[in-house]
Amino acid sequence: MSVLNRRISIAPVYIWIGFLGLLILVGIFGAAIVFSQGLVVTNLTDLVPWGLWITIDLSAIAMSAGAFLLCAAVYLLGLKQFQPVAKTATFIGLIGYSMAVMTLLLDIGRPDRFWHAVVFWNPHSVLWEVTMCVTLYLTVLVLETTPILGNASWFKSRWPKLSSHMSGLHRYAPYLAVVGLALSMLHQSSLGATYGVLKSRPIWYRPDLSVLFMISAMAGGISLTVLITMVVGRLSSKVKVNDHILERLSFFIGWVLVGYLYFRFWDAFSMTYTYQPGKTEGLSLLTKGPLAFNFWVGEILLGAVIPIVLLLVPRFRKNTTARMIALFFVVGGVVAYRWDVNLAGQLVLLTYLPQEISAIYTLYKPSLIEFAVGVGVIAYGAMAITLGARYLNIVDHSKVHEEVLETEPEPGLAGTD
Amino acid sequence: MAAESVGRRDFLKVAAVGATALAGLRMVRGTDASEPTGSSPHQWAMVIDQSKCTGCGQCTLSCRAHNDVPPDISWNRVIEMDDEVGDKKVYVSRPCMHCEHAPCVEVCPVKASYYRPDGIVMMNYDRCIGCRYCEIACPYGGRAFNWKAFTEPNPAVPRWGHPEVPRRPRGVVEKCSFCYQRIDRGLALGLTPGVDDIATPACVVACPTGARVFGDLNDPESEVSRILDATPHYRMREDLGTNPRVYYLPARDEVES
Repeated sequence: MSVLNRRISIAPVYIWIGFLGLLILVGIFGAAIVFSQGLVVTNLTDLVPWGLWITIDLSAIAMSAGAFLLCAAVYLLGLKQFQPVAKTATFIGLIGYSMAVMTLLLDIGRPDRFWHAVVFWNPHSVLWEVTMCVTLYLTVLVLETTPILGNASWFKSRWPKLSSHMSGLHRYAPYLAVVGLALSMLHQSSLGATYGVLKSRPIWYRPDLSVLFMISAMAGGISLTVLITMVVGRLSSKVKVNDHILERLSFFIGWVLVGYLYFRFWDAFSMTYTYQPGKTEGLSLLTKGPLAFNFWVGEILLGAVIPIVLLLVPRFRKNTTARMIALFFVVGGVVAYRWDVNLAGQLVLLTYLPQEISAIYTLYKPSLIEFAVGVGVIAYGAMAITLGARYLNIVDHSKVHEEVLETEPEPGLAGTD
Repeated sequence: MAAESVGRRDFLKVAAVGATALAGLRMVRGTDASEPTGSSPHQWAMVIDQSKCTGCGQCTLSCRAHNDVPPDISWNRVIEMDDEVGDKKVYVSRPCMHCEHAPCVEVCPVKASYYRPDGIVMMNYDRCIGCRYCEIACPYGGRAFNWKAFTEPNPAVPRWGHPEVPRRPRGVVEKCSFCYQRIDRGLALGLTPGVDDIATPACVVACPTGARVFGDLNDPESEVSRILDATPHYRMREDLGTNPRVYYLPARDEVES
């Protein structure tokens, strides 16, 4: 197995892995402080109880959305040519979900009781449903990624029997795709609903949040999958990447973003007419308050408008650098969106006092430990994907179905064949 | 195909494992406390008269002492309002509202918050996972999270007494319980909550101006029922439809306490 001795000079990869390892160590150190001293080491308060870690959790889940979408495309819609990308997406999904579980374990006050939601059911709670979805879908992702490990050649040669068992799981892929589609769609939208059902924070209280979380996750999840595929394809001379299918996926992302922007516009626009205490203030936090830069530049301009142009105009889309920039922006935009949603409802809250139902403004800036742990979790994700690309062939387009190569993409035929 | 390879025997195996797991789950879950609200003969409620409240904070202090509430947490907050009635300051004293439709109970993923049949919104501190969703969902800011372990002696607890309930551990959310322990013990002794001091929430007993009244809404003769029948009152954020069980009598100019 000579992945190690490829033409990409060994040093940069090892520097990268070492760097990530260092960040992971910092994260572990921070987590140890959190577990030993409690959440008092964060800058979270009773008024802003959900912060950076929840944003990372929400973003990691959103970035995992490529898994269910591409598995559904391949195994349910029969778009076989995307199968190699679905493999990458599934692995990213597994890593994303495990990142989410890590941040959640840190974030809850009693990580030793994480299993309570599985045993003590409150089906009326959106968060209960979210927890069940995380648990069940993580199981699905483990089953879906098991063949990837089983098919790795070094694994095959060492444990041939186990490997064939693990690869055999692949024949259940269509069933897993159905279950995954149901669980993941439910989960993505429920995360929006987690906020959307709360009357206590007026800016959140709207059904659109579940829809917007779903659509933005579609764009973000596939974007990260395509971006990672392209980065791996560039950095490694061994990995074969079929740019044609990546380009078609990017075209699809462009249209998803158009849809997202459309819903987002009407959602935000209608809020300017409510004059409802709390909601109006929340919206102005976004449009001209402390979140304004995130909103206008991060979410709208870089997160949607520029990528739409770059991904829908063929000239830009065919330029791999421009396309990678666009995909990176989409990912950043989705993260910015999660951060803004989470904070917009918490930075402004409504008094309950009679005669003075007015807005109170709160502040939140993550503490150093929150940053350290957050960076550690992200470094873990990057490490897992780096190792996956090197040793598990998660990016491998050498067996792309032939049919895709003969048709040129037509504008308007985004994801169909 | 995969579906055909699952034989009857396999199916029975899976079914047996599933049934065992389900039975195990039942055993762990035990009984869930949430009986339908209203199945108790009593429906507890509190009336707070803002004309009489002087903002002295005895309610909060006695609450800390009886429930062992740490200094950085208040189950009962006393808030000074901006406006005055006559020449007197107006205060809002805010325990848990014990809503009939409590957002905290609805959103709790593990049913650590639940309704008692007598209307009290209770916390199961052994079940709470500390996700703080209830804290975000409560429109009244009635909940507080234990960000750190409270290990020091409680400065609010006097030397001659001790708290009536166990201290909460780090990492769970806590809140006012209408002193359920006093109500339950009082009823067991044949006393009437709201009438007999040891069966009544500590804040009500401690209030030096008698601004707080506690009692049973189901009993038309109870003081809360009589006050609510005769006096204009309001509840906080009634627009939300939460139906709080804490009623306020607005401050009036003419009342002398």
